[in-house]
Amino acid sequence: MIDLGIILRDTFWSGIAALGFAMLFNVPRRTLVGCVITGALGHALRTLLMMSIGASIEGGTLVGAICIGFLSYRFGRRWHTPAIIFAVCGVIPMIPGRFAYGTMIGLIQLAEQGSTAPPAVLLDTTVNAVKTAMILGALAVGIAAPSLLFQRNKLRL
Amino acid sequence: MCKDEGEITVPMTNKLQGNDDTPKPPLSREALRDVNDLALWAGQMLLQNGAETARIEETVHRIGTALGCDWLDILVSPNGLLVTTNSGGEFRTRLRRVVHIGVDMAVLDEISTLSHRIDRAQLTRFEVRAELERIEGMKRNYNRWLVAFTVGLACAAFCQLAGGDTAATIITLIASGVAMIVRQELTRHQFNLILTVGGTAFVAGLIASIASVFPVSETPTAALASAVLLLVPGVPLINAAEDLIKGHMVTGIVRGVTGVLISLGIALGLLLAMRLMGVSGL
Repeated sequence: MIDLGIILRDTFWSGIAALGFAMLFNVPRRTLVGCVITGALGHALRTLLMMSIGASIEGGTLVGAICIGFLSYRFGRRWHTPAIIFAVCGVIPMIPGRFAYGTMIGLIQLAEQGSTAPPAVLLDTTVNAVKTAMILGALAVGIAAPSLLFQRNKLRL
Repeated sequence: MCKDEGEITVPMTNKLQGNDDTPKPPLSREALRDVNDLALWAGQMLLQNGAETARIEETVHRIGTALGCDWLDILVSPNGLLVTTNSGGEFRTRLRRVVHIGVDMAVLDEISTLSHRIDRAQLTRFEVRAELERIEGMKRNYNRWLVAFTVGLACAAFCQLAGGDTAATIITLIASGVAMIVRQELTRHQFNLILTVGGTAFVAGLIASIASVFPVSETPTAALASAVLLLVPGVPLINAAEDLIKGHMVTGIVRGVTGVLISLGIALGLLLAMRLMGVSGL
């Protein structure tokens, strides 16, 4: 069941997150709107996919990031600026902060308690670490998607 | 105008001048040096401000050939650039060391625009030099206090997205806003990057621990996890992935390691603060 309120709330806050980082990265003023749009839509799409069809967070992230990639490509054309500006600011709201934090706390717990730590701690830590890595990977692949598809002649290795 | 790195023998003329089949007039020694200098300068600014390797190669190559060189070769290393300009059988090569890596998207935007303007043959070498000088002297687009506030707001937004309650969100806002000011100061005094990150995370962690120490919030860990997100090495990691995917292994690996080191710095600073405040973080 899709709750529109949650999606809207999600869109709003991810737009704010993208705006803050856009200013931190000193993007040109005329591109601020584009950064907020990519940030808000990418994260909202992920939330929508996870709520509607029960997508995993990794899968949702990949789809969201691919959308951000292509949207950034369009925006780059439109505002005559490197697309990476919109892409970097756009994926920021999807950064797996919670999972990275969980990994860190879990590792410290393991280090402190050693073999007396409950097995669940090891399991949770591993899951958090794998999720962090997979989400980051999905973000990177999503952003790179347009240039991999459209600029093949520059990619001969 | 595409640069083909894969070919072992590089035919210097013919296809390399884009649609233009007429050979270019050879540049004088001084002109060749000047073009080399300008291209290197543009490349330096791109590398310093967070451009991925493919962009640096393309842009510098475009500037060099558009200013009259037959061909321009560039090697991007994580802390230096090597540029060779060729014209009429003559060539000049120069190496420049590049230090200080930050992120400034406005510079990338300006240099990208400039390179396309040169490509449309609208600018002379002297105008290009004046433009590069202007770009180097550009002020930041946003007032530093405004940046500190919006970055704090961004971290508060992360807290909301992570399911934090109102108290945790407000504490996050304050923690990351203050941490951002600390970061600006540490950066201004040119402290080591990892030290800056660790110190900033420490301050953010200290303030965010309030949510755990006092019974004000139901979700104190959301505040702790979100308050340090202003330090997330987004640009290094994304550039690393982009470089690795496109075959620029050396720069990709270095950027990736930089990103990992920054993450470790965040963890170190945050843990130190949590220990000091007696917060377990669970």
